[in-house]
Amino acid sequence: MVFVITIFSIIATIGMYLLALKAHKKYPILLMTPIFFATTSIIIILLVMGISYEEYTLAKDIMTYLLGPATVALAIPLYRQRHVIMRNFMPVILGMIIGTTATIVATVYMATWIGLSEEMVTALSIKTITVPIASEVAVVIGADASFVAIMVVLTGMFGAMFGSVLLNWARITDPVARGLSFGTISHGIGTAQAMVEGEIEGATSGVAIGLTGVFTSLIIPWLLPLLV
Amino acid sequence: MKLKYALIFLGQLFILWLLNEIGMKLAAWLDIPIPGNVIGMILLFILLLTGVIKLEWINEASSFLLKHLVFFFLPITVGIMTLGPIFLNYGIPLAFVLFGSAAFGIILTGAVSQLLASRRKVAKERGIRDHNI
Repeated sequence: MVFVITIFSIIATIGMYLLALKAHKKYPILLMTPIFFATTSIIIILLVMGISYEEYTLAKDIMTYLLGPATVALAIPLYRQRHVIMRNFMPVILGMIIGTTATIVATVYMATWIGLSEEMVTALSIKTITVPIASEVAVVIGADASFVAIMVVLTGMFGAMFGSVLLNWARITDPVARGLSFGTISHGIGTAQAMVEGEIEGATSGVAIGLTGVFTSLIIPWLLPLLV
Repeated sequence: MKLKYALIFLGQLFILWLLNEIGMKLAAWLDIPIPGNVIGMILLFILLLTGVIKLEWINEASSFLLKHLVFFFLPITVGIMTLGPIFLNYGIPLAFVLFGSAAFGIILTGAVSQLLASRRKVAKERGIRDHNI
């Protein structure tokens, strides 16, 4: 039974992913952003078939096995675009530091103001860093790791769906600046979308994932007590 | 011919997998809060810079993984389905904070970076002009 559910889950996931790519090509609108469209359709299929996320876990582990090597492969756009990024060293570093810090402060103040519990505020503060770093940092600051992971994922999806629209609206046209925004706020999921915009955007975004993760893990243990 | 391509592809995948494993081992051994895959990425970057690994050795497998990067996140995003009760109780305030601050961050990060980049360009152009005078 486990075997059947797992095989079914894998086929459904791959199928919905391919369908999402096709749908997005045909109708390039927000609701058709592959990550959003595929996630919602997979959840609907699992719910209809009565498969719980627990039962989906084995399929998940099999399919995410290559996420590590895929992250390693981000070194390639970085290598190809290294001159562009080195030329923009200060805009990248300062943009990342100011953007990350201001976002943490804004998140904590908004969350406290709206009356979310301290637990949630703590978890939300690290929502802009990639899942593997966020789960480590969650332990350090005493946040619930799986709740953090979902907040991180939702932020990533938001960035992938609305990043381009927001950046266009704010008239941010510089490809390095655009890539930096994607990676700093929406980590790997945003980077996948930044790759679609272009190689410079993708490379800068890939760099930003690591930079933001490391920077946040260094400042959050002392920044958070000052804010909460 | 197809078999040869498949073998090359698997070999390239193996190099990426190995770097990831080394990154994970290093992270555990050094006991630092940087994930193993990010260390693997830095390692690969250094190896490419120093010419130890040639781009052609890993090109096909890397292009494939990067092209389908979104796919690898899907099984994780599906995990949202476990948060039903929390979303029912806190959905609106959570969405407000999550998306409001993310939108703010995206615009601010891009704006700061673009401003610094354009200032630098202006300064450079001015520098060139001054030299011409």
